[in-house]
Amino acid sequence: MKMVWTLSCSLMLLAGGVHVYGDDGHEEGKTHRDAVVKPLSKQDIASAALYQKECGACHMAYQPYFLPKRSWEKMMNTLGDHFGTDASLDPQDQKAIQHVLMSHASKNDRISNTEGKFPLRITQTPHFLQEHREIPKKMVTQPEVKSFANCTACHTKAASGSYREREIRIPHYGRWE
Amino acid sequence: MRYLGLLTILTVSVMGASTDVVQYMNELETAAKRENRTFAGFDAARGKEIFTSTHIGKQGKAIACTTCHTTNLAHPGKNDLTGKVIDPLSPRANPERLSDAKEVKKWLKRNFVDVYRREGSAQEKGDVLTYIMKN
Repeated sequence: MKMVWTLSCSLMLLAGGVHVYGDDGHEEGKTHRDAVVKPLSKQDIASAALYQKECGACHMAYQPYFLPKRSWEKMMNTLGDHFGTDASLDPQDQKAIQHVLMSHASKNDRISNTEGKFPLRITQTPHFLQEHREIPKKMVTQPEVKSFANCTACHTKAASGSYREREIRIPHYGRWE
Repeated sequence: MRYLGLLTILTVSVMGASTDVVQYMNELETAAKRENRTFAGFDAARGKEIFTSTHIGKQGKAIACTTCHTTNLAHPGKNDLTGKVIDPLSPRANPERLSDAKEVKKWLKRNFVDVYRREGSAQEKGDVLTYIMKN
């Protein structure tokens, strides 16, 4: 049963791109137009499940289309110092996860952060900053959220790749409207 | 032969670890003897000290294993950075623990680096595992 759940999560993870910006009058299909669902090979499904298991052990397994290839490539090759923690993996697992992330990465390779560098943190991509610019700090720093990296704290369906505005529930504050 | 199999299963369940984890413990024991001639077996009390003492970790801040895992290994912990819930470490509370040597090696390596800014010695790893098994 757990396996089935992991697999279905993995599929949603990779396929999530279709409905990320599907409503709310956001720039529909604009930013993530390139996140088109590709047919998944058996290997892809196994690697996506591995991504869920390994990266999802510490944080939500962020959808690969939030970062361009070069960000994932750098991240997966510096896991020994992953934002200050050791997240190193068995080389074979690292390769498989890197492959699945890169093959579903954002095609927009010109993404750069405010300093003009390509971002390693999703929270520093221009699109993320734009979408969250109105959120008061206190909503993010509260213990139930901790930081912007904790998508699922407010986006109730983030794990399945859905970030619709009507699904937002900010702890202690409720809906964002 | 059948009894031998049964005996192995009993021993493993008493220790709260799978066969490959027991095998890994044996490897650690051999390595610990090589590292330290006076080594006389793993010790849960030393493991507890390693697990509960505070150090300046990889992030330059005070941290202990208990920062995330808490002092009660039968209770869930919480990743201090991300807030993600961590299932209990105790094999009694969580049968998935110590059931896969690959997992055990991965986390021991990572977590020693995060807390001690270096990898653990064979003796230290064995001591910590012994402590976890007894809790």
